[in-house]
Amino acid sequence: MDRTATLTKKETSGHESQLGLDTKADRLTDHVKTGVVSQAKGSAYIEQSNTKVVCSVFDPREIPRKSGYSVNGELYCEFKFAPFSCIQWRSHQPDAFEKECSLILRRSLEPAVCRHEFPNFQVDVYALVLENDGSALAAAITCAALALADASVPMYDLVVAATLGVHGDKKFMDPTVEEESLCNILPPDGRSRNHGIITAAFSPAHQQMSEFAQSGAMDIDCATSSIQLLREACESIYLLSQQCLLKGVTKMLKKKQKEIKLDLSSDRIAC
Amino acid sequence: MATCYKSIHPVKYYRDFLAKGVRPDGRDMQKFRPVSINVDSIKTAEGSAIVKIGNTVVVCGIKAELAAPKAEEPNFGYLVPNVELPPLCSPRFCPGPPSDLAQVSSNFIAETLTSSGCVDLKDLCIAPEHLAWVLHCDLICLDHDGSLWDACVIALVAALRTVKLPHVSYDVEAETTVVSPEKRNKLQVHNTPVATTFAIFDDEILLTDPTNEEESLSSGVMTIVVQGGQLCSVHKPGGSPLTESQLQECINGAMKRAEYINKLVNMTLESLGT
Amino acid sequence: MAEILLSEAEKTFILHGVEEGFRCDGRMRLDYRPMEVETDVVSHASGSARLRLANTDILVGVKTEIDTPYPERPREGKIEFFVDCSANATPAFEGRGGEELGTEISNSLATAYQSSQTFDLTALCILPGQQCWKLYIDILILECGGNLFDAVSLAVKAALHNTRVPKVKGACLDGGTVDLQLSDDPYDCCRLDVSDAPCLVTLCKIGDHCVVDPTAEEETCSSGSVVIAITEKSLVTSVFKTGVGSFHPQTLIDILKVGQTIGLSVNKALRAALLEEEQQGRKKECFGFLK
Repeated sequence: MDRTATLTKKETSGHESQLGLDTKADRLTDHVKTGVVSQAKGSAYIEQSNTKVVCSVFDPREIPRKSGYSVNGELYCEFKFAPFSCIQWRSHQPDAFEKECSLILRRSLEPAVCRHEFPNFQVDVYALVLENDGSALAAAITCAALALADASVPMYDLVVAATLGVHGDKKFMDPTVEEESLCNILPPDGRSRNHGIITAAFSPAHQQMSEFAQSGAMDIDCATSSIQLLREACESIYLLSQQCLLKGVTKMLKKKQKEIKLDLSSDRIAC
Repeated sequence: MATCYKSIHPVKYYRDFLAKGVRPDGRDMQKFRPVSINVDSIKTAEGSAIVKIGNTVVVCGIKAELAAPKAEEPNFGYLVPNVELPPLCSPRFCPGPPSDLAQVSSNFIAETLTSSGCVDLKDLCIAPEHLAWVLHCDLICLDHDGSLWDACVIALVAALRTVKLPHVSYDVEAETTVVSPEKRNKLQVHNTPVATTFAIFDDEILLTDPTNEEESLSSGVMTIVVQGGQLCSVHKPGGSPLTESQLQECINGAMKRAEYINKLVNMTLESLGT
Repeated sequence: MAEILLSEAEKTFILHGVEEGFRCDGRMRLDYRPMEVETDVVSHASGSARLRLANTDILVGVKTEIDTPYPERPREGKIEFFVDCSANATPAFEGRGGEELGTEISNSLATAYQSSQTFDLTALCILPGQQCWKLYIDILILECGGNLFDAVSLAVKAALHNTRVPKVKGACLDGGTVDLQLSDDPYDCCRLDVSDAPCLVTLCKIGDHCVVDPTAEEETCSSGSVVIAITEKSLVTSVFKTGVGSFHPQTLIDILKVGQTIGLSVNKALRAALLEEEQQGRKKECFGFLK
C-alpha cells in the first residue's frame, strides 16, 4: 500500500519540525551504470541515495496474441518491486500500484522511442526495484531509458524523470519513503490544503514533457509552478545520464578495438 | 569469423576448445569463476546479500514477519524460501506465473534448508502455539549465466547470517505483542551448506561451474551440496550417466570449493563488523 | 479505446477544423456534448447512476458493506473502484480485451479520490479500529463513444450523491466480535458528502490546440491527451497523460489552466442537475433504460 499515509497526526507534526525547507534538488543521483545484465540486450542500474533500480531491455520479438499488422512497434513495460524492497513484504503478484507504474513507465518512454523502426514487433522493458527509499518510479524511468539506449533501440532522445513531493507550502525534491507518506496526507494545521506527489518525465533535447502524473490535492498554481522545478531537476539528471552512456560507449569501443587487434595476431582455430 | 563458427556449430566449437584442454572463456575444466559477495546492502530487508559468480548475479532479501505457528508444529517458526527468475535475467523467461525452473529451484532451496539444518526453527519461535517468526527468503536472479543454484545457496546463507531480529515479548493472557526494534538479536545459523554445479559434456568431460551456454550444450547437469565436510545432497536430474570415479571427483571438488566459499563468506561478514 | 479507422484525408479535415475552432459536430473547441444523468436506476444497489454523454453510456452501482479498517488507518472507511468494460460496448472488449483499459480507468479514479480532501473516509467509520463501511463502486461501460474518463467520473459522482448508507442503531461488543444493529427503516440512512468529489476532464491535443470532450474519431487524430481531476473548490487531485505524444512544459501549463476552468463549470452543472432531480422527489419520471 504505497499511497496510504502511514503516519498518524501526532507523528506528522514531529516530522515537520525535523524536515527542513527543501526546495532544490538536494539528493543527487549517486550511481548510474549500463551493461549490468550480461544476458540482456541492454541494461542499466541506478542508485539514487538508497533507492536501487535495475532495468533490462530485450531484442524486439513478435507481439503475442496479435493478428493484425501494426505500423508502429510496441513497448511492453513491467515495473516490479522486489518482495524485500519496501518496509512491508510485497507479494510476487503485481498489485494495482505496480500495474499503474508499469503504465506510467510505458507512457513516459513511448514518445522518445522511434517506434516506426520496428513495426509489428515489441520491445520488452523490465524494471525491478531492489530497494525503495522513495522516488522509485522516477528512478525506474531514467534507468529504463538508459537501458533502451544501451540496447541500441533507436530513440529520439533520452528520457529522465524526477519526483516532487508537496506538503503545505514545503516542496521536497526527490522525496524519501517517509517524505512520500507525509505528502499523502493533509497538513494538519489547516494553513494550506496542498499535498501530493508529482512524477514527471522529460526529454531535455526536445524540451518535451513525456509524462506528468500528479496525485494528492493541490491548487493549480502549485501544480504549474512544480513543472518548472521538475524541469530543472530533470536537466541535471540528464547530464549524468549522458555521461553514463558516453562511458558505456567508450568502453565498448575500446573492447572492440582490443578484439580486432587480437584477431589479427592470433592463429585460426583448427577446424 | 569465430563468432560465425560459434553460432553455426556451437557444439563443435566447444569440442575444439575442450580438445585443447581449455574452455572458450579461458578457464580449464576444473576452474571456478571468480565469486564476489556483498552483504547487508538492502536496508529495507532484515538481511540481504548479493552474490556474483562470473556473470551470474543473485540477490537474496530476507523479510521477517510475525505470525501464528503452524498447527502441526506449534514450537517452530518457519522459513518461506522462494526463487524468482524474472524475465529481466534472461531472454528465455517470460512474464507471468513462475516458470518450471523457478519452481524447481524454490524446491531445491527449501530442501537444502531443511536437510542441512542451517537454521534451527525452534529459534524462530517466540510463544509456542501463539507467535513465531516467519522469514520470507526471496532470491531474485538478476543475471542468469549458469550455476544458478550455487549462487542462490551462497546468497541465502550469507543473508541469513546477517539477519538481526528485533526483540519481541508476547503476553499470553492479554494477547498483546510488544516489539522493540532497537534491541536486535542475531539469528543463529548453525550450518553453512555450499552448492557446486557440474556439467557433463559429450557424456565424458566434466566441467565445473558451467556458464549458461555450457549448461545448454551439455548432456547433463549435476549439483552437489556439501556442508561441514559432509555430503548433504546430490541433485542429478537425468542426463548422461556418471561413473563412480567421476562422481567421487565431483564430490572432492565440491568439498574444496565449500572450504573456499566459507572462508570468503566469513571474510565478508567480518569486514561488515558483525 | 476502440479502434476507429480513419483515412489521412479525414484526419487532416478534423485537424484543420480544430485549428479554425470548428469541430465536426458543430461544437467549439471547449464545448461538451449534451449529457443526461439519472440516479437511482438500480434498485438493489445502495446508490446508482446512469450517464449518457452523446454515444458514451456509463452505469455505476454503489454497494455498501461492513468491513474492518486497515490497521494503520483505524478511523477510515474504504472505497474500491472496479471498471468493467463490457463486450456490449465494442467487440474489442470481448473476453479480457477491455481489462487493460478498465484497470487504467479504475486506477485513475482511485488516485483522484485518494486525498482526504476529496472524499472524507472518516465519515465511513463505525467503530474505530474494528468496523467501517466499505464502498464498492462498480462501473459498467455500456457504450464507448469517446471521452470515457470524463463520463465515468461524472457518473461516479452522481452515484455517490445518490448513495444511502444505512444508519447504525447499536453495537454490542461480545468478547472481540462486534454485533451491529442496523436501522430497519429503509429511509433512515445517511447521505454522503460529495461536494468535494472530483471530476475528470480530458483535454485532447489535436495539432496545436486542445479540445474538450473528444469523440472517438477525434481521439484517433490526437497524439496525446491530458486528464485532470478538479474539485468544486478548484483543487487539482490527479493529473496524468494518456496517448503516445509528449508536451512542451508551457503547453502543459496552458492545458492545466484551461482544464481547471472547464472542470469548475462541469462540476457546477452536475451539481445543479442532481439538485434539480432531487427536488422532483417522488414525482420524478423514471426513464431507466428506455430513453
